[in-house]
Amino acid sequence: MIGRQPLFPKKRRREPPVPPRVETGRSRLLITGALFSVAFLVVTGRLIGVTMFVEKSQPQYSKTVGKPALTTGRADIVDRNGNLLATSLKTASLFANPRIMLNAREAVNKLATVLPELNRRQTYEKLTQDRSFIWLKRHLTPRQKYEVNKLGIPGLDFRDEERRVYPSAALASHILGHTDIDNRGLAGVERHFDQQLRKNPTPLKLSIDVRVQHAMRKELAAAVREFRGVGAAGIVMDVRNGEVVSIVSLPDFDPNLPSDIESDTRFNRATLGVYEMGSTFKIFTTAMALDAGRVSMRDGYDATHPIRISRFVIRDYHAKRRWLSIPEIFMYSSNIGTVKMALDVGVAEQRTFLQKVGILHPSPVEISEIGAPLIPGRWREINAMTISFGHGLSISPMQLVAGVGAMVNGGIYHAPTFLKKPPHSRSTGRRVITAKTSERIRRLLRLVVAKGTGRNAAAEGYLVGGKTGTAEKVVGRRYKKKALMSSFIGAFPMNAPRYVVFAMIDEPSGTKKTFGYATGGWVAAPVVGKVIARIGPILGVRAVDEKAPEIEREMAIDIVTQKEGKRRLASF
Amino acid sequence: MIKRATLIWMFLATAAGIGLFVLKYEVKSMEGQLATIHSKTLENLEAVHVLKAEWSYLNQPERLEDLGRRLLNLEPVKATQTIDIENIPFRPVGGSENNPNLTKVHPPAVDQTPPLFANIRRKQ
Repeated sequence: MIGRQPLFPKKRRREPPVPPRVETGRSRLLITGALFSVAFLVVTGRLIGVTMFVEKSQPQYSKTVGKPALTTGRADIVDRNGNLLATSLKTASLFANPRIMLNAREAVNKLATVLPELNRRQTYEKLTQDRSFIWLKRHLTPRQKYEVNKLGIPGLDFRDEERRVYPSAALASHILGHTDIDNRGLAGVERHFDQQLRKNPTPLKLSIDVRVQHAMRKELAAAVREFRGVGAAGIVMDVRNGEVVSIVSLPDFDPNLPSDIESDTRFNRATLGVYEMGSTFKIFTTAMALDAGRVSMRDGYDATHPIRISRFVIRDYHAKRRWLSIPEIFMYSSNIGTVKMALDVGVAEQRTFLQKVGILHPSPVEISEIGAPLIPGRWREINAMTISFGHGLSISPMQLVAGVGAMVNGGIYHAPTFLKKPPHSRSTGRRVITAKTSERIRRLLRLVVAKGTGRNAAAEGYLVGGKTGTAEKVVGRRYKKKALMSSFIGAFPMNAPRYVVFAMIDEPSGTKKTFGYATGGWVAAPVVGKVIARIGPILGVRAVDEKAPEIEREMAIDIVTQKEGKRRLASF
Repeated sequence: MIKRATLIWMFLATAAGIGLFVLKYEVKSMEGQLATIHSKTLENLEAVHVLKAEWSYLNQPERLEDLGRRLLNLEPVKATQTIDIENIPFRPVGGSENNPNLTKVHPPAVDQTPPLFANIRRKQ
């Protein structure tokens, strides 16, 4: 501009005419400048964004690393005291890459020195195949892994795997269940809680106590040996909240070796098996009659003659052939008296009552092996009669235990559970009989152990009460003679029951010691007595002096021996 | 003037560069240390996990019972071996002649009952 003089000085302020070329240059410059400013604005914006705001894509080192935690694919299972029952351990599995193997024969010879169980011929064949991956042995122990590594054979390598381990082996096999090689639950709580165990790493706490479990298992096994039985079942349940402290079914299996389990040992007699329970059912019939107000403890029935109905005859095993009072009917386990009692209450009422105490529905416990009760299709009078003394209706021992728990604990039915309930949690049970009826049932049960068929179940100091049960086994559609299911259901201490203890021996044979008898009173009652003597101190049940006057008063029962006749007071 | 300013800026830029470089390497080496510690922690956690399983295996009631019987001559507690705390008698006031230290022991007076026993009814 300096070189150019304006033609008209007065109009100096006027823009001189701009040549069109310069004009285009300027506008181009303007566009470029604008573009650059936009670009710089974007860069600035991005810069602010990156520095001031945290973005998702940005790695957060403090968070991603965090505290290292051991994660397994499956949560542990522990007992009520935190003892480990099932856990997942890392194991190494050995595989080979035959393509880079230098000398297969030498490798086989070397491997045989540390893994003698490997088949040499098979291994050699595996190592000479034209593949790049082949399993040699899965789940090696850390020592085996170390020794294989020490051999230094090229072409061998390990892959980390997980294996379910049950440190207590067969102790709680039926309740725990087991898993397959891919750690999927196949039975027991492993199956029932499969999803939870995979997702939630906190250990699953069962209500089982390994010490009680051991006592029950050991005593049952001893009884099975002594009486040459084919199996057994045992349950200990807390009557105050339904927690199952021990549940055993024999024969049992080692869940660490799932491939070796035979179907007979897999069968859970305590929850899956349904059996006619025999005389233990008289607890329900008597409670029902007392609760309905149909009979009092001083009433009774004539048990002189057997009852004939259609082609059946109902007899008494320990027949007295006279009028019997309610306590006597219970103590001598009179079928005739019990049948009359049930008929007095009514057929429909019996069904309703059994429904209330959980006999007509499968047990609600948390495992997959649960047997549905076998209930008569039409509940007629003949059914009511046989069911009153425990025949013609098959239930699992778990159902019986839960029902009897409600009979002795003051009349509240608690659904049985295998999970530990949080301490001081209020149990939501439902009332099925009155506290007064429950108290009478307690006295009757104590009477059976003090004076009746259950004497062998006594455990000094623990005030045991209970009822024997002996039923002939049903095989197919008829009763198998001389094949018995001998059981005993007890509770202790009878003045304030804490636990129900059940034992059942499958097909026992009498011995010289039992004078050839294989009934519940001879076979199962001693098991319950011995188990209670062992677990009483473990469970912290206070032992009492059974001869103390206040205890005797609590357990006393008026036994009427003649209709409207003289009474004698029995003080036990 | 210009020269001095340039020098100062150059110096600052170099210093910042070196500082950043050193810091970066320090962070990297610390990250390495952290990773090592973490992997060692994990190793130890795994070892603890295995030991827990072994502890549980060694604590099987069956094994403990056998060991107790064989080595310690122990057997399960019987009900007759237990007693209620309220039934434990206090030492006699006179004490025994064999142990003169006991003569000074008196049962606590009612108002001196130790707090632990305060709620327990004593049977006479």
